Amino acid sequence: MNLLNITDLQTHFVFHDIDNQRREARALNKVNLTLDKGEILGIVGETGAGKSLTAQSICGLLRPPAKVVGGSVLFLGKELLSLSEEELNNIRGAEIGMVVQNPKSSLDPLTRIGDQLVRIHQTHTESSVPVARAKASAMMNAVGIPDPEKRFSAWPHELSGGMAQRVLIAMALMNEPKLLIADEPTTGLDVTVQAQILELLKDLVHRFEMGTIIITHDLGIVAHYCDKVAVMFAGEIVEYGAVTHIFRRPGHPYTKQLLASTPEKLKLSEGSSLGGQPPDLFNLPQGCLSQDRCPIASNQCKTPPPVITLETGQTVRCHFARQ
Amino acid sequence: MSTSLTDNPAWARRIINRVRGLSRLSPTAAAGVLIILCFGVLAIFAELFMTHDPVSSYPDRILQGPSVEHWFGTDGNGMDVFSRVIYGAKFGFGIAIPAVVIAVVIGIPVGLIAGYRGGALDETLMRIFDGLRVFPSIILALAVVAATGQSLLNVVLVLGFLDSPVFARLVRAEVLALRSSNFVESAIAAGNPTWRILFFHLLPNTIQGAMAQTAVRAAWAVRISATLAFLGIGIQAPTPEWGAMIRQGAEFMVTGQWWVAIFPGIALIFLVFGLNLLGDGIQDILDPRRRASK
Repeated sequence: MNLLNITDLQTHFVFHDIDNQRREARALNKVNLTLDKGEILGIVGETGAGKSLTAQSICGLLRPPAKVVGGSVLFLGKELLSLSEEELNNIRGAEIGMVVQNPKSSLDPLTRIGDQLVRIHQTHTESSVPVARAKASAMMNAVGIPDPEKRFSAWPHELSGGMAQRVLIAMALMNEPKLLIADEPTTGLDVTVQAQILELLKDLVHRFEMGTIIITHDLGIVAHYCDKVAVMFAGEIVEYGAVTHIFRRPGHPYTKQLLASTPEKLKLSEGSSLGGQPPDLFNLPQGCLSQDRCPIASNQCKTPPPVITLETGQTVRCHFARQ
Repeated sequence: MSTSLTDNPAWARRIINRVRGLSRLSPTAAAGVLIILCFGVLAIFAELFMTHDPVSSYPDRILQGPSVEHWFGTDGNGMDVFSRVIYGAKFGFGIAIPAVVIAVVIGIPVGLIAGYRGGALDETLMRIFDGLRVFPSIILALAVVAATGQSLLNVVLVLGFLDSPVFARLVRAEVLALRSSNFVESAIAAGNPTWRILFFHLLPNTIQGAMAQTAVRAAWAVRISATLAFLGIGIQAPTPEWGAMIRQGAEFMVTGQWWVAIFPGIALIFLVFGLNLLGDGIQDILDPRRRASK
């Protein structure tokens, strides 16, 4: 049994216009993902591709007007989409840990660091304060916060961005989750801190054997730290497979374009930046969603592309995947 | 100081910092704190300051002017005005504090829930509270107290209830700004049930404005309760309550016996004034931006 099994997940934004007409933005279009324990999956894509939305849909964190309209999310065989808010609360923070972006603003400004860690433990377990405190110090140690006893009574505003992110990771790990979702865990941190945090995360994932999803738009992060990668475009996974295969031989034209537009390639003038815009989610085109931006698009692309599995195991949503 | 500040335990250091914080108050806020402290002492230890029993009458000394025996003179029943003014402080605080506590206890949870849940629940609660605010509070208070029976308890309950929308609105506005903030989302993602998010995370982060309002609303409660008594609703005449005393004294103003109404009036003005200044002071302490600009 896989740790996490997402099939045909569909999330839409449902609005009502000023003339009360129903408008739907199809933000996630049949997303399929699987994750095993100890595995790190990277989800990449440009802004609005539905990366964070996927994470929020998994955890039931969507707020109206966003709504899951179809599909299933099986976590250890349990259907997360049909759970009540109360049942979800028992899983979130306990079996599924989340690390969000903007570490500094994601900590309650009026609660000391130590108390936040103790509280998240006590929300999900019956343990006493001393036990929770001991656990919290151990976790702070594990995420590389020096002198945990002293930092215990620090306020969030006294921490640097990197420290705050470590605290958030410690919070996510307090209850030893089986699944960790890190939504752009290093956005806004400088490169050296970013490397430290990701190295730490990778180390912890292997130590605790967690399944991990890292959401990012940095291909470098995926190449360095992930085992598998899902490339998202306009709410679809266009390519999915092992990092080694996809980075060596990308099957989808969009993945190729993404890889060609990394700053290093651009500097060597081998690459080219991506032109055009992602399609309008209110009015998705017939057939392949990336046809307007695709250099090899043809008439065939007006029909929905098949999902083709290559010999390397990577799946590609394109008519021309084998070419 | 022989021992350095860092030698003290954390709680002692905190208290020392608090006291130092007080000395940084603006002069007006300090005046407010001082006035309220004085009235507080008067109210708690009224028996020590009173020269006569506030409700025993001296039939032979009706409407005497201020003298050595009766500092503020005597009223129409021959009661000592000075002692009654002192004793009245008990009513001032005794009505204002519980009324504000009730307003806070009702208003803040309603504001939290309405702001956090939003939608139809928010609309319903806020429209009910708007309904309360539509009527001039004095008229509404008058009507409700007259209808529910004239007792001190009723006055307190009615004032507390009428004032709760103020706190609900303040807290709701803050919650609206914070409910989609990152730390609230993280708290949801950490599996906190809604009540924990409301009371452990949103409450401490939204309560500032409401706390600064408490003193101002206490001033309001003092004013309204005195007005009710002045109008003859709620607290009745021989009770040494300032509003009731002013009501009795008002009759004698035209005939020149000014002391019966003027002294409780001055006390009332000072208490309300002091509470308002205190409200400013609390605002200064709680709002770092205002503190910095001083």
